Amino acid sequence: MKYLIFLTIVLNSLFAESYSSGKTDVAPVNNQLYIKECGSCHFPYQAGLLPSNSWNKIMSNLDKHFGVDATLAPEDFATLSKYLNDNSAEKNMQYKRSNRIVSSLLPGQVADSISTTPYMIKKHKEIRKDLITQPEVKGLFNCVACHTTAEKGIYGERDINIPNYGRWED
Amino acid sequence: MKILLIPALLLNLSFAAVVDDYLGSLKQEVIKENPSFTGFDAKRGEEIFTSKHIGKKGKEISCTTCHTSNLSNSGENTFTGKTIEPLSPKANSKRFTQIKEIEKWMKRNFNDVYNREGTALEKGDVTTYIINQ
Repeated sequence: MKYLIFLTIVLNSLFAESYSSGKTDVAPVNNQLYIKECGSCHFPYQAGLLPSNSWNKIMSNLDKHFGVDATLAPEDFATLSKYLNDNSAEKNMQYKRSNRIVSSLLPGQVADSISTTPYMIKKHKEIRKDLITQPEVKGLFNCVACHTTAEKGIYGERDINIPNYGRWED
Repeated sequence: MKILLIPALLLNLSFAAVVDDYLGSLKQEVIKENPSFTGFDAKRGEEIFTSKHIGKKGKEISCTTCHTSNLSNSGENTFTGKTIEPLSPKANSKRFTQIKEIEKWMKRNFNDVYNREGTALEKGDVTTYIINQ
Protein backbone atom coordinates (compact mmCIF):
# COMPACT_ATOMS: atom_id res chain seq x y z
CA MET A 1 0.00 0.00 0.00
CA LYS A 2 2.73 2.42 0.99
CA TYR A 3 4.54 1.51 -2.19
CA LEU A 4 1.42 2.27 -4.25
CA ILE A 5 0.98 5.69 -2.68
CA PHE A 6 4.62 6.47 -3.27
CA LEU A 7 4.40 5.36 -6.89
CA THR A 8 1.30 7.51 -7.44
CA ILE A 9 3.05 10.57 -6.07
CA VAL A 10 6.12 9.98 -8.21
CA LEU A 11 4.06 9.42 -11.36
CA ASN A 12 1.93 12.46 -10.62
CA SER A 13 4.90 14.72 -10.18
CA LEU A 14 6.42 13.40 -13.40
CA PHE A 15 3.31 14.24 -15.37
CA ALA A 16 2.93 17.60 -13.68
CA GLU A 17 6.49 18.41 -14.71
CA SER A 18 6.03 17.39 -18.35
CA TYR A 19 2.69 19.17 -18.52
CA SER A 20 3.90 22.48 -17.13
CA SER A 21 6.95 22.59 -19.40
CA GLY A 22 4.99 21.46 -22.44
CA LYS A 23 2.83 24.53 -22.98
CA THR A 24 3.30 27.95 -21.52
CA ASP A 25 6.90 28.87 -20.75
CA VAL A 26 6.00 31.97 -18.79
CA ALA A 27 2.68 33.28 -17.44
CA PRO A 28 0.98 35.48 -20.10
CA VAL A 29 0.37 39.16 -19.35
CA ASN A 30 -3.09 39.64 -17.82
CA ASN A 31 -3.09 43.37 -17.11
CA GLN A 32 -4.62 45.77 -19.65
CA LEU A 33 -2.88 48.86 -18.26
CA TYR A 34 0.47 47.09 -18.62
CA ILE A 35 -0.30 46.18 -22.24
CA LYS A 36 -1.43 49.75 -23.00
CA GLU A 37 1.38 51.62 -21.27
CA CYS A 38 4.39 49.37 -21.84
CA GLY A 39 3.13 47.81 -25.04
CA SER A 40 2.73 51.12 -26.86
CA CYS A 41 6.49 51.30 -27.46
CA HIS A 42 7.65 47.69 -27.31
CA PHE A 43 6.56 44.09 -26.93
CA PRO A 44 4.88 43.84 -23.51
CA TYR A 45 7.32 41.44 -21.87
CA GLN A 46 5.82 38.99 -19.39
CA ALA A 47 6.56 39.96 -15.79
CA GLY A 48 7.85 36.42 -15.25
CA LEU A 49 10.85 37.12 -17.50
CA LEU A 50 12.70 39.01 -14.73
CA PRO A 51 12.88 38.86 -10.95
CA SER A 52 11.43 41.75 -8.95
CA ASN A 53 14.81 43.33 -8.14
CA SER A 54 15.41 43.82 -11.88
CA TRP A 55 11.93 45.22 -12.47
CA ASN A 56 12.41 47.66 -9.60
CA LYS A 57 15.72 48.81 -11.07
CA ILE A 58 14.08 49.35 -14.48
CA MET A 59 11.08 51.16 -12.99
CA SER A 60 13.29 53.50 -10.96
CA ASN A 61 14.95 54.73 -14.18
CA LEU A 62 11.94 55.36 -16.43
CA ASP A 63 13.16 58.90 -17.20
CA LYS A 64 16.01 57.28 -19.15
CA HIS A 65 14.52 53.93 -20.07
CA PHE A 66 17.03 52.40 -22.51
CA GLY A 67 17.79 55.98 -23.55
CA VAL A 68 14.25 57.32 -23.88
CA ASP A 69 11.74 59.00 -21.57
CA ALA A 70 9.13 56.45 -20.46
CA THR A 71 7.82 58.29 -17.40
CA LEU A 72 4.30 57.52 -16.20
CA ALA A 73 1.60 59.30 -14.22
CA PRO A 74 2.17 58.52 -10.50
CA GLU A 75 -0.98 56.36 -10.19
CA ASP A 76 -0.02 54.28 -13.25
CA PHE A 77 3.55 53.95 -12.02
CA ALA A 78 2.23 52.52 -8.72
CA THR A 79 -0.17 50.09 -10.42
CA LEU A 80 2.44 48.80 -12.86
CA SER A 81 5.20 48.49 -10.25
CA LYS A 82 2.87 46.39 -8.12
CA TYR A 83 1.85 44.26 -11.10
CA LEU A 84 5.48 43.54 -12.02
CA ASN A 85 6.39 42.73 -8.43
CA ASP A 86 3.39 40.48 -7.88
CA ASN A 87 4.12 38.49 -11.05
CA SER A 88 7.91 38.49 -11.23
CA ALA A 89 10.01 35.47 -12.19
CA GLU A 90 11.07 34.30 -8.72
CA LYS A 91 7.39 34.03 -7.75
CA ASN A 92 6.62 31.96 -10.86
CA MET A 93 9.22 29.22 -10.63
CA GLN A 94 6.69 26.62 -11.80
CA TYR A 95 7.06 28.18 -15.27
CA LYS A 96 10.07 26.82 -17.13
CA ARG A 97 11.53 30.06 -18.48
CA SER A 98 11.01 32.05 -15.28
CA ASN A 99 12.79 29.27 -13.44
CA ARG A 100 15.69 29.10 -15.90
CA ILE A 101 16.18 32.86 -15.96
CA VAL A 102 16.28 33.15 -12.18
CA SER A 103 18.54 30.11 -11.85
CA SER A 104 21.01 31.52 -14.38
CA LEU A 105 21.67 34.77 -12.52
CA LEU A 106 25.00 35.06 -10.74
CA PRO A 107 24.92 35.58 -6.98
CA GLY A 108 24.03 39.21 -6.34
CA GLN A 109 23.40 39.95 -10.04
CA VAL A 110 20.57 42.40 -10.71
CA ALA A 111 19.99 42.18 -14.48
CA ASP A 112 19.41 45.46 -16.35
CA SER A 113 17.26 43.77 -18.98
CA ILE A 114 15.82 40.41 -20.01
CA SER A 115 18.25 39.99 -22.89
CA THR A 116 21.30 40.38 -20.63
CA THR A 117 20.39 37.55 -18.25
CA PRO A 118 22.85 34.63 -18.61
CA TYR A 119 20.04 32.28 -19.71
CA MET A 120 18.93 34.60 -22.54
CA ILE A 121 22.51 35.17 -23.70
CA LYS A 122 23.12 31.42 -23.78
CA LYS A 123 19.85 30.66 -25.62
CA HIS A 124 20.60 33.20 -28.36
CA LYS A 125 24.35 32.78 -28.79
CA GLU A 126 24.16 30.51 -31.84
CA ILE A 127 22.14 32.99 -33.87
CA ARG A 128 24.04 34.98 -36.49
CA LYS A 129 24.57 38.61 -35.39
CA ASP A 130 23.23 40.05 -38.64
CA LEU A 131 19.94 38.19 -38.21
CA ILE A 132 19.51 39.88 -34.84
CA THR A 133 20.48 43.38 -35.98
CA GLN A 134 18.58 43.31 -39.28
CA PRO A 135 15.84 46.01 -39.62
CA GLU A 136 13.02 43.47 -39.21
CA VAL A 137 14.34 42.51 -35.78
CA LYS A 138 16.62 45.33 -34.56
CA GLY A 139 17.75 43.54 -31.42
CA LEU A 140 17.21 40.77 -28.89
CA PHE A 141 14.62 42.98 -27.16
CA ASN A 142 12.17 42.33 -30.01
CA CYS A 143 10.92 38.87 -28.91
CA VAL A 144 7.92 38.81 -31.19
CA ALA A 145 9.98 39.41 -34.34
CA CYS A 146 10.98 35.72 -34.28
CA HIS A 147 8.97 34.07 -31.50
CA THR A 148 5.60 34.01 -33.22
CA THR A 149 3.74 32.92 -30.07
CA ALA A 150 5.59 35.22 -27.64
CA GLU A 151 2.40 37.06 -26.72
CA LYS A 152 0.94 33.82 -25.37
CA GLY A 153 4.04 33.24 -23.26
CA ILE A 154 5.23 30.42 -25.54
CA TYR A 155 8.87 30.59 -26.60
CA GLY A 156 9.39 27.04 -27.86
CA GLU A 157 11.66 26.24 -30.77
CA ARG A 158 8.90 25.09 -33.12
CA ASP A 159 7.24 28.52 -33.03
CA ILE A 160 10.37 30.40 -34.08
CA ASN A 161 10.44 32.07 -37.49
CA ILE A 162 13.44 34.34 -38.06
CA PRO A 163 12.91 36.96 -40.81
CA ASN A 164 15.04 36.25 -43.89
CA TYR A 165 16.10 32.93 -42.41
CA GLY A 166 13.05 30.89 -41.49
CA ARG A 167 12.50 28.25 -38.89
CA TRP A 168 15.17 27.53 -36.34
CA GLU A 169 16.41 24.00 -35.98
CA ASP A 170 19.07 23.26 -33.42
CA MET B 1 -26.22 55.30 -40.98
CA LYS B 2 -27.63 57.31 -38.09
CA ILE B 3 -26.29 54.67 -35.70
CA LEU B 4 -22.84 55.27 -37.13
CA LEU B 5 -23.15 59.03 -37.15
CA ILE B 6 -24.02 59.46 -33.49
CA PRO B 7 -20.90 57.79 -32.03
CA ALA B 8 -18.77 59.54 -34.64
CA LEU B 9 -20.28 62.86 -33.65
CA LEU B 10 -19.80 62.16 -29.94
CA LEU B 11 -16.15 61.23 -30.50
CA ASN B 12 -15.69 64.37 -32.51
CA LEU B 13 -17.27 66.49 -29.80
CA SER B 14 -15.10 64.98 -27.09
CA PHE B 15 -12.03 65.48 -29.27
CA ALA B 16 -12.88 69.16 -29.84
CA ALA B 17 -13.61 69.75 -26.15
CA VAL B 18 -10.38 68.09 -25.00
CA VAL B 19 -8.22 69.96 -27.49
CA ASP B 20 -9.94 73.27 -26.63
CA ASP B 21 -9.28 72.62 -22.94
CA TYR B 22 -5.67 71.69 -23.55
CA LEU B 23 -4.92 74.64 -25.83
CA GLY B 24 -6.86 76.97 -23.51
CA SER B 25 -4.72 76.11 -20.50
CA LEU B 26 -1.51 76.36 -22.54
CA LYS B 27 -2.65 79.78 -23.77
CA GLN B 28 -3.13 80.97 -20.19
CA GLU B 29 0.43 79.92 -19.44
CA VAL B 30 1.83 81.73 -22.48
CA ILE B 31 -0.10 84.92 -21.73
CA LYS B 32 1.45 85.08 -18.25
CA GLU B 33 4.86 85.50 -19.89
CA ASN B 34 3.73 87.41 -22.94
CA PRO B 35 0.55 89.51 -22.46
CA SER B 36 0.45 90.48 -26.15
CA PHE B 37 0.29 86.79 -27.31
CA THR B 38 -2.32 86.37 -30.03
CA GLY B 39 -2.52 82.66 -30.75
CA PHE B 40 -0.82 79.39 -31.58
CA ASP B 41 0.59 78.92 -35.04
CA ALA B 42 0.59 75.75 -37.15
CA LYS B 43 3.53 77.00 -39.21
CA ARG B 44 5.74 77.30 -36.13
CA GLY B 45 4.38 73.91 -35.05
CA GLU B 46 5.45 72.37 -38.34
CA GLU B 47 9.01 73.61 -37.80
CA ILE B 48 8.99 72.08 -34.29
CA PHE B 49 7.71 68.79 -35.69
CA THR B 50 9.98 68.44 -38.71
CA SER B 51 13.31 69.98 -37.59
CA LYS B 52 16.17 67.73 -36.48
CA HIS B 53 17.80 67.93 -33.06
CA ILE B 54 20.30 66.04 -30.96
CA GLY B 55 17.93 64.00 -28.84
CA LYS B 56 18.16 62.28 -25.49
CA LYS B 57 20.20 59.43 -26.96
CA GLY B 58 22.78 61.90 -28.34
CA LYS B 59 21.78 61.20 -31.92
CA GLU B 60 20.07 63.40 -34.52
CA ILE B 61 16.33 62.85 -34.47
CA SER B 62 13.05 64.63 -35.25
CA CYS B 63 9.40 63.89 -34.54
CA THR B 64 9.12 62.70 -38.13
CA THR B 65 11.79 60.02 -37.55
CA CYS B 66 9.08 57.88 -35.93
CA HIS B 67 5.82 59.56 -37.00
CA THR B 68 6.88 60.19 -40.64
CA SER B 69 6.00 63.48 -42.35
CA ASN B 70 2.55 62.24 -43.36
CA LEU B 71 0.59 62.18 -40.12
CA SER B 72 -2.26 60.19 -41.66
CA ASN B 73 0.11 57.26 -42.09
CA SER B 74 1.34 54.83 -39.48
CA GLY B 75 4.88 55.29 -38.26
CA GLU B 76 7.44 53.12 -36.55
CA ASN B 77 9.32 53.52 -33.28
CA THR B 78 12.87 53.93 -34.59
CA PHE B 79 14.39 52.16 -31.58
CA THR B 80 12.03 49.20 -31.11
CA GLY B 81 10.38 48.77 -34.52
CA LYS B 82 6.90 48.87 -33.00
CA THR B 83 4.20 50.31 -35.26
CA ILE B 84 2.81 53.71 -34.24
CA GLU B 85 -0.80 54.40 -35.24
CA PRO B 86 -1.40 57.65 -37.22
CA LEU B 87 -1.00 60.82 -35.15
CA SER B 88 -3.52 62.93 -37.06
CA PRO B 89 -6.94 62.95 -35.34
CA LYS B 90 -8.47 62.98 -38.83
CA ALA B 91 -6.96 59.57 -39.53
CA ASN B 92 -7.10 58.18 -35.98
CA SER B 93 -10.11 59.12 -33.86
CA LYS B 94 -8.36 58.10 -30.61
CA ARG B 95 -5.78 60.89 -30.87
CA PHE B 96 -6.13 64.00 -28.67
CA THR B 97 -9.12 62.67 -26.76
CA GLN B 98 -7.51 62.53 -23.28
CA ILE B 99 -5.52 65.33 -21.61
CA LYS B 100 -3.53 62.80 -19.59
CA GLU B 101 -2.37 61.00 -22.76
CA ILE B 102 -1.50 64.25 -24.54
CA GLU B 103 0.57 65.49 -21.61
CA LYS B 104 2.33 62.14 -21.19
CA TRP B 105 3.49 62.02 -24.80
CA MET B 106 4.36 65.72 -25.03
CA LYS B 107 6.69 65.36 -22.05
CA ARG B 108 8.26 62.11 -23.28
CA ASN B 109 8.67 63.08 -26.90
CA PHE B 110 10.03 66.60 -26.32
CA ASN B 111 12.60 64.98 -24.03
CA ASP B 112 13.42 62.32 -26.63
CA VAL B 113 13.79 64.75 -29.54
CA TYR B 114 14.85 68.05 -27.88
CA ASN B 115 16.44 66.60 -24.74
CA ARG B 116 14.29 69.00 -22.68
CA GLU B 117 10.61 69.54 -22.04
CA GLY B 118 8.59 71.72 -24.40
CA THR B 119 7.42 75.21 -23.43
CA ALA B 120 3.70 76.01 -23.35
CA LEU B 121 4.13 77.96 -26.60
CA GLU B 122 5.87 75.05 -28.33
CA LYS B 123 3.30 72.51 -27.15
CA GLY B 124 0.44 74.74 -28.32
CA ASP B 125 2.05 75.35 -31.70
CA VAL B 126 2.85 71.71 -32.36
CA THR B 127 -0.64 70.60 -31.25
CA THR B 128 -2.17 73.16 -33.61
CA TYR B 129 -0.02 71.76 -36.43
CA ILE B 130 -0.90 68.11 -35.71
CA ILE B 131 -4.66 68.55 -35.37
CA ASN B 132 -4.80 70.35 -38.69
CA GLN B 133 -2.90 67.65 -40.56
